[in-house]
Parts: sequence; C-alpha cells; structure tokens
Amino acid sequence: MGVKIVQRHGKTLREKLYLPAIFGGMKTTLRHFTANLSDTPQIKTFSYPEEQPQDITERYRGVHRLTKREDGSVRCVACFMCATACPAECIFIEAQEREDGVDEKMPRRFDIDLLECVFCGACVEACPCDAIRMDSGIFSFIGKKREDFIQTKEQLLAREAKENR
Amino acid sequence: MVSLSVDGKRIEVRENTLLIEALLSQGISIPHFCYHPALGKDGNCRMCMVEIEGQKRPQIACDTLVKEGMVVRTKGEKIDRVKRSILEMELINHPIDCPICDQAGECSLQNYYMDVGLYESRLTTPKVRGKKHVDLGANVVLDQERCVLCTRCVRFTEKITKTHELGVLSRGDHSVIDTFPGEKLNNPYAMNVVDLCPVGALTSKDFRFAKRVWFLQSEKAICNRCARGCSIFVDHHKEKYGSEKIYRYRPRLNEAINGYFICDAGRLSYAHENALFDAQAMIRGKVSEYDYAEGKWLRLLKRYLGKTLFLISSSLGLEEFVRLQKLAKLYDIALSAYEPDRFDDRFGDTFLKCADRSANARALPLLGIDDTQEGFQKALQNAELIVLIGRHDVALILDAPCRKSVVVLDAGGMTCEEVELMLPVASHTQKEGTYINVEGYVQYSACMIANDKGRKSLLELLGTVLGDGMVRAQEIWEEEIVRLEPFQNLSFAMLSSTPRIVL
Repeated sequence: MGVKIVQRHGKTLREKLYLPAIFGGMKTTLRHFTANLSDTPQIKTFSYPEEQPQDITERYRGVHRLTKREDGSVRCVACFMCATACPAECIFIEAQEREDGVDEKMPRRFDIDLLECVFCGACVEACPCDAIRMDSGIFSFIGKKREDFIQTKEQLLAREAKENR
Repeated sequence: MVSLSVDGKRIEVRENTLLIEALLSQGISIPHFCYHPALGKDGNCRMCMVEIEGQKRPQIACDTLVKEGMVVRTKGEKIDRVKRSILEMELINHPIDCPICDQAGECSLQNYYMDVGLYESRLTTPKVRGKKHVDLGANVVLDQERCVLCTRCVRFTEKITKTHELGVLSRGDHSVIDTFPGEKLNNPYAMNVVDLCPVGALTSKDFRFAKRVWFLQSEKAICNRCARGCSIFVDHHKEKYGSEKIYRYRPRLNEAINGYFICDAGRLSYAHENALFDAQAMIRGKVSEYDYAEGKWLRLLKRYLGKTLFLISSSLGLEEFVRLQKLAKLYDIALSAYEPDRFDDRFGDTFLKCADRSANARALPLLGIDDTQEGFQKALQNAELIVLIGRHDVALILDAPCRKSVVVLDAGGMTCEEVELMLPVASHTQKEGTYINVEGYVQYSACMIANDKGRKSLLELLGTVLGDGMVRAQEIWEEEIVRLEPFQNLSFAMLSSTPRIVL
C-alpha cells in the first residue's frame, strides 16, 4: 500500500498556540448567542411534528416504493440486482412466472425490512428497470410492532412519489 | 509431440490436436460457443478467432490442427477487434434481457462481452423477434431470441443420445432451434442440453426463476441414485433467516465415469434430498428432542446387547461400512445388507444409468458384509432389536411373524407407531464418504452441507458408541481402511484422482 505524506499546517507560533483560533471561534458563538437571546422569534427552528419540514429535496432518500408500468402493473422483473447490491441484505424477493404476456418474470414476494435497511440507495442505483425508487419523501416511518417495518410488495407498490412543491 | 508458439510462449502438444484444445489445455482463455470437448468442433460460431503467422486472415482455432513451428497470437489490438465484431454480430438479435434470464451470471455471452465487447450498440433497425417461451419437453424451455445457434444441443441429440429430436429450422436470421413437428425432447439425458447451452436459450423448467446463480455455492459430490456414481456439483444456498436448500445438481467433469453428463433422474433427485432436511427425531411416531432420542438409541443398544441386527443400506459410504463392521464385531451384533429392491431393470440403460440402484454395494463383498436373503432371514430370527441404518423399509421387518423392536437411523422418511425410534442422521449431501462404482472406481464425495437442525452424521453417532471419536473420513481411511486388503494400495489423498480397484 502506498503512503501519502501530508504536510502539517500551521508552523507559526500563533498557530501552534491554538488559543487565538479558539477565541476566534468562541467570539462567533457568543455573537450568535447574544443575538438569539435578544430576538427569539428569529431562531431557525420549527415545531415538529405539527409543522413538517419543507426542505426535503428531490434527491432525498426516503422510504422505498416500487414503480408501475403504464398499464399500472408492477415494473419489477425480480432480477435480484437490488438484493445483490444491498449491503444490509434487507430485501427479500421470490420470483414467479408472469402470465399476462407483458413480461416473463415478476416478484411473487418483495419485502424490504426497514429496520435493517441503511437507506444507502444502492438498490435504486442497481435496478436496471427503474422499478425501485426512494423518492417517496417519507423520512420518518412509524410502526407499532416489528412486523410493521417489513414493507410488502403491495405496500411498496401503493406508495407514490412525493409531489414537488 | 508438436511445439508451437502462443503469444510468445512455447507449448508442446500431441500431434493432430485441434488448436483450441491445445490452447484450452494450457489454460489460455479463448472465447467459443460451438466447440465443446464432448461434441467436437462445428466451426459455426466463429468466436475462437486467432492470428496465425503466415495466414492472410484470422483463423478459427477449433477447426485448425496444430502444426510444428506454428506461431499463434490470441491477444492484441487486431484480434480483439475481430472478436468484438463477431460478438457484435452474435448480439444483433439478442434481446439482452439478462435481468430475467436464468443464465445471467454463468453466461458466455455476458463474459465475452465483458472481455472483448464493451461497445455501444450501432443497431437502428428493430431486432428480429422469436418465441420467448417454447416448452421443448423434458423440463427444457427454449427462448429463441437468446439463441446464438451454436447447435451444441442439436449435436448432443445427434451424437450422444442419438435420438435426433432437435434441429435448426428456417434460414438466415429467422433460423431457430426447435423440435421436429409433432415431437418433443424425450430422452433420459435431455436436461444436459441446459448445461451445454452457452447462453440462456435453453433453461431448465425445474430451476426456472428459482434462484440467481451468483447466490449459489457449489459443492463437489457423487450422485447416489445408481451404481454409476456420477460426479456432480451440488448447488445450494442458505437464505437469510432461512435454512439450507439445494437448488440443483449439475454434472461435474469426470472422464473416467460420466464425462460431461448426468441423467435427468439423478439431476432431479436433489428434491428428494431437500425433503430429507426437515426430518425430526420420533419415538413411537411422536416428535422428540434430538438429544433425548440419541440417548434412547444408546440405551436400546445396551439393552439388546447380543440380540441386535443391523440391517444396513448398501448405499452407505465405505467409512460407515467399516465403522459399522467394527461395532458389530465388538458387540456381537449381526450385520446384513440385504435389499430386495436393489435392482431395477427398467432404470438401467447402456450409457450411464445402471439397473443396480445401490451407490456402494460393491464394497460389501470386499469387506465381507453379508447381503443374502438367507443370511438376513437367519439373523432376523435370532434378533430382538432391528436397527435399520440408511434405509427405512420397515415393512420388511414388520411383516415378519414375531414382533421385534425397530429402530431407524436414516436421513428421513416415513415413521409409524411400530417404530420404536426414528433418529434422523445426516443425509447424503450432508456427509462425506467414499463410494465404489459399478466399474470399481473409488470416489470421495466431499459435499457436507451444514444442517441447522443439530442432526448428527452416522459417523458421529458411531464415534460416540465406539468411544474413539473418529468422525472424519480422512482419519478413518488412515487408521482403518488402508489396513484392509482390498484398499492397501490406496490412500485418502489418492481419491481425488478416482483410482480403480479390482472388484
């Protein structure tokens, strides 16, 4: 393995002392502290969960969904690319023969265990059919028991993309 | 011997060898579809192009005989361009539906594209469409679009099975493989065309969509369905939160025994193995804890000391025979391997399938284990406890006039209230063992799929009873088997080369 030598920064006495830099930083903290103390309504917080965040971007990796074809049927062909790419091994697929003539193969079962998922997005990257996306915008998923977090094919298909405002 | 130069390296091969054979024997990778060692050359795919010095154009390696002083180049800008062009032509009408193709992961087209292809498609016209799902019969499904027309399957039915069911129909880019009108693929070796097919055109109906191949782990084993003992790969996988499951058997090259092929009956027998994986310990027909059942087996053995008969299967491994024989001698237990249903004349043929359905009965006379009906009847009369080992044909005992206690030590199978104890042991693919085939070849089956039910192998159970703790085949070979007269010229290490003994 190669070794890369990185030059150490800060050769002057002022830099070696650290203290001027620390006081510089503390000055900024103190300035914000006093400004906020004198004008509380200006603090950038909101009352979650009554108020929902408005800055969820298009690229945000939320809870997965399975996309559909134009005719409304499942787009996934159960090729297992997502399950292969998944570092958490949280995608459970069972394939079956597709009988409606649209394609040959489809998933019988497509479960994602959200408790194991690390929301890395590797499944979306791996999918050759654009059948799985994480654009639902759901950043907080609530369940009452463990089984609620295992998202089935039907639940994933029912989910729609987040509308962009 | 002829010496030639390949990519600047000198190699020596026998005269009259095909250039492709010479290259492959040296471990040089050379793309090919139509050439197959068992089917010979055909020269139709044009993938195996090499440059030969002195020849104007690139030549196909599969239809060129080696010559003294030949200078061959398999790599380089020029030859790669030729290979890329040929691959591009093969892929013109290929649907590239790898996501739904069972061959993906072990497909020659995919591999060659990654090696020499990697071009952008220049095709602007629509692809020629074919039928996607043609049931050829015998568990073989044909996808005409994926086919590269290498005709390996056609030549297999011509040269190996001589049944001639398949042919190439139509001309030009409408050429397709199909069965002749009104016929179906119908021979006991038909599923070998699935392995022969270098692409995903012929797939197995049995394995269809069952598993992506890159998840599978392959284990080397010996088929135990008849006396031939074909070499196979056992492809298995343990799903997360699931248990071990075998998905398919594939033939494993063994020139001495089965070549490149196995029969369909053997190939599909993996389902039988899978069914055994769930067997539970039973006492008088009721499910029991394994440890308790194992204790009961030892207690029964002790109670009926001197009045016990071991009725063993002739398909057990050589190591198990030797250990059982040792135990029988030590505790004065009668030993019989009588099997009324050993021979099945409807099963046998002249190629691979044998009428003798026993995997290892050849070892019985070598070890001096009795397998006659008279010997069995005599031993049965004197015994009070009958232990069926590796078999569960309890009807043989229960039909006997006087009542006996019956214990079954088998991988699985039926049980009933008449059976005192059913103790499941490791099945064929869960245990190692040595088997002697019908021609006297001694083969070692190394496949030991882990069992998650805490079930022990027969060798482990015998190791406990004998108290010497010898449970591995290698130990038993080194300590006991090599001392026996028929095996004195062998050693455990030699088994990988399939030695032959005189029967």
